[in-house]
Amino acid sequence: MTEKVNLKWNGQDIQAEKGSNLLKAALDNGIEVAHYCYHAGLSIAGVCRMCMVEQDGVPRSFPSCNATCSEGMVVRNDTPKIKAAVESTLQFHLLNHPLDCPVCDQAGECGLQDYYMTHGKYDSQMIDKKVHKEKVQDIGKNVMLDAERCILCSRCTRFTEEVTKTNELGILNRGDHAEITVNENLKNDYAQNLVDICPVGALTSKDFRFKQRVWFLKEVPTTCIGCETGCSVKVSQNKNGSYRVKPVYDHDVNGHWMCDDGRNIYKHVSSPTRLSNASENINNLFVPVDELGVQAKVRGLKAKYILSTGLTVQEYADFFSNIKGSKAEVALYTLPSQGPEFDGILRRGDKNANLRGAKAAFEQAGFDSTQVGLDKVLNSISSNDVVYVVIPEILYNEDHFNTLINKILKAAVRIALTPGETLSTLRAFNYLLPVPSFLEKNGEIINFQGSKRKLTAGLSYGETSKDVSYYGKWVNV
Amino acid sequence: MKETANNKDYALLSYHHIPGVHNLEIFERAGGYETMKACFEKDPEAIKEEVKLSGLRGRGGAGFATGVKWGFFTKDRKAQKYLLCNADESEPGTFKDRYLVEKNPHILIEGMIISAWALATQKGYIYIRGEFYQQAVILERAIKEAYAKGYLGKNILGKGFDFDLYVHRGAGAYICGEETGMISSLEGKKGQPKLKPPFPAIKGYRGLPTMVNNVESLAAIPWIMKFGAAAYKQWGTEKSPGTKLFSISGDVNKPGVIEVPLSTSLKDIIEIHCGGMRNGNKLKAVIPGGSSAPVFNAEDAYTVKMDYEDVAAKGSMLGSGAIIVLDETRNMGDVLKWTLEFYHHESCGQCTPCREGTGWLESVFKRRDKGLAHKADIDLLDRTANSMRGQTICALADAAAMPTQGMIKVFRQELEAYVVAPIKK
Repeated sequence: MTEKVNLKWNGQDIQAEKGSNLLKAALDNGIEVAHYCYHAGLSIAGVCRMCMVEQDGVPRSFPSCNATCSEGMVVRNDTPKIKAAVESTLQFHLLNHPLDCPVCDQAGECGLQDYYMTHGKYDSQMIDKKVHKEKVQDIGKNVMLDAERCILCSRCTRFTEEVTKTNELGILNRGDHAEITVNENLKNDYAQNLVDICPVGALTSKDFRFKQRVWFLKEVPTTCIGCETGCSVKVSQNKNGSYRVKPVYDHDVNGHWMCDDGRNIYKHVSSPTRLSNASENINNLFVPVDELGVQAKVRGLKAKYILSTGLTVQEYADFFSNIKGSKAEVALYTLPSQGPEFDGILRRGDKNANLRGAKAAFEQAGFDSTQVGLDKVLNSISSNDVVYVVIPEILYNEDHFNTLINKILKAAVRIALTPGETLSTLRAFNYLLPVPSFLEKNGEIINFQGSKRKLTAGLSYGETSKDVSYYGKWVNV
Repeated sequence: MKETANNKDYALLSYHHIPGVHNLEIFERAGGYETMKACFEKDPEAIKEEVKLSGLRGRGGAGFATGVKWGFFTKDRKAQKYLLCNADESEPGTFKDRYLVEKNPHILIEGMIISAWALATQKGYIYIRGEFYQQAVILERAIKEAYAKGYLGKNILGKGFDFDLYVHRGAGAYICGEETGMISSLEGKKGQPKLKPPFPAIKGYRGLPTMVNNVESLAAIPWIMKFGAAAYKQWGTEKSPGTKLFSISGDVNKPGVIEVPLSTSLKDIIEIHCGGMRNGNKLKAVIPGGSSAPVFNAEDAYTVKMDYEDVAAKGSMLGSGAIIVLDETRNMGDVLKWTLEFYHHESCGQCTPCREGTGWLESVFKRRDKGLAHKADIDLLDRTANSMRGQTICALADAAAMPTQGMIKVFRQELEAYVVAPIKK
């Protein structure tokens, strides 16, 4: 148990851990302190000079990011002296900034814009020529650099130095000619975090830029289904679709970051090729069909289910309660591992988002969730069967999945329940039925630590439903 | 350069009149390294105490008491730590350390060995300005001599004390004269000052305790240990004891380096030591402590005493003791312009107020050169300089802001005339 200390910030009593960061203590207690270079996930640089404070009994003002909390500390950043200093410093930040907000993707969530509202001088005194630097630099991994917009807070260089330890970025030159530069193009698997931590529009995402204005987006907090880590993320959506995924700070799982693979998990959700109606395969063309007609076709056949590891705990429970008492056979398709077991930061080789939840549900219902169980069901498939396959939401290895499909061809009727796009592999099925993607359902998945992670339904697209019992309704036909 | 007659009576240049004193043999014959040997018989704590009593103030520019700074250093004699000599003398107008080590490198080495013994540092570096190539060669040679004599290296004089000394040449950056910038540079990083706290005495070079002292401070140690703190205090004032090297440049008849007791009047320095004003011209202004010190007009210059308190009381600073004398033919606009060009060029670019501010200050003069400046720009300079002060990691922003504001305070009318003056094509 760490010791708590009491301090006063702008006259407000706050509590913080002894020796913890003074700026963080303020931010955690809801006190607004302007800052650019400070980031809780990185080392202290102390260069933006925005978080200056005055402390009783200390002659000089100092940056609060480089101070620690101690008992009885009395600090202020609302004194006339500090306010004037922060205004001037912001003026310096903006001095050589191109002010190209109308064409900048950071607009709306930009540190310079935000603090300008509270600390701006409004009356520009700058009539001299600005220093120009190179714009529109593609530095790899879908990251674009605009050196002119940069305020040299050094968050990005510290990130590549401290978090990924790949050191692709550095600061070249001195004085007002200093600029971020790439030693080599970005090569780490966490590069999109650079876009997140950049407080201005210097680093933008090639994937997101020019697609949407951020004020038209709503953020849905959810969990990444890219691998078994289960990072806390938020997905930016509006009525036209989803546009980006950003990490949400989670002390126990992902900290401040997420990997680049996770940035793509939303793409199938609002993809134009996503299946939106129940469809029948007629000579490899998928034609919309009435679900009732499909139900009529499968009546009397023996049901065999192959579930994916991407359903929620609630969906598994619902499914198994529905098949209770029936003679249906159930197996689990587990995604094969990709890459190393753990890359040392966040990414894990096991791509099954809810393997633990699935296994627990199978065990409780008395079904075999292992490969042996799967093989047994696959080997038993005959022309009296209807096989339902829940297609994994993200298929990293299509070839591996094809070997499974090749084994179900004997079945009389093959039905795919797919939360994603219409893949070419799905031609082996007679019917395709849309099911909700991870962004359209409320529920929980269990990550590698065994902890429950929440999925939240955002906006839904097409005719897919948020109904958790979707899988269950095919059981008793 | 001609030494002033009484230099040999003082602490720092007392050997400089001896021909060939850069050779260890000649230096020893004149009494060099005796103090070092005597100090090995003394308790390190007693040495620290003596230095503290002497009131020696750091000669790099800030004037922080050396003995007090030593007091912050860990007393654990076994712990790994470093002694770092700051010979990156780059402040425009300053050339005292250069003169000191060029003629007598051994006085610095002796001072460093005594300090190393007192502070129990196992390794020392002399970080010397890159442009001082010849001086670095001289130091290297002197260090080699000291190693041959067994004054450096393992088990010095059988005392069971190890001290290795290296010379490291900088690459020509002013900011590496700032102690944490110097440490960054020595570590092989970009020469940028580090955030304080922690101070180098706690966490410095390679994250270990590091004592950084100026050449002149370290070179004063042998004399203080030989004659005692009380003798050192015969010179100067209560708060500024001892002697100080001044490097005088500009419009005087005999520019150069002199050693005089602190609190010597600037008038005496100009008229007696430097042979008066060149061509009999009238004194216009003096920058008393290197280019970052606010300027004095002739009246202040003729009344000020060159010690830390009196210079500060008159609104400037003693700094590194670089006296730049300007006569009536000099235009203060040009002086300020060149000063600001220098600081713009040398800002490391880390902290925003300095990175952007130094550029902004200079850009006013660039605009002036195109005939586009007006009187109100002087206020802009003043405001900009004011908002740079005290806002950055190191003192470079202040070093650019102080002379700007100082110049505006003293020579406002001249600057106003300068910025609107028609440009000669």
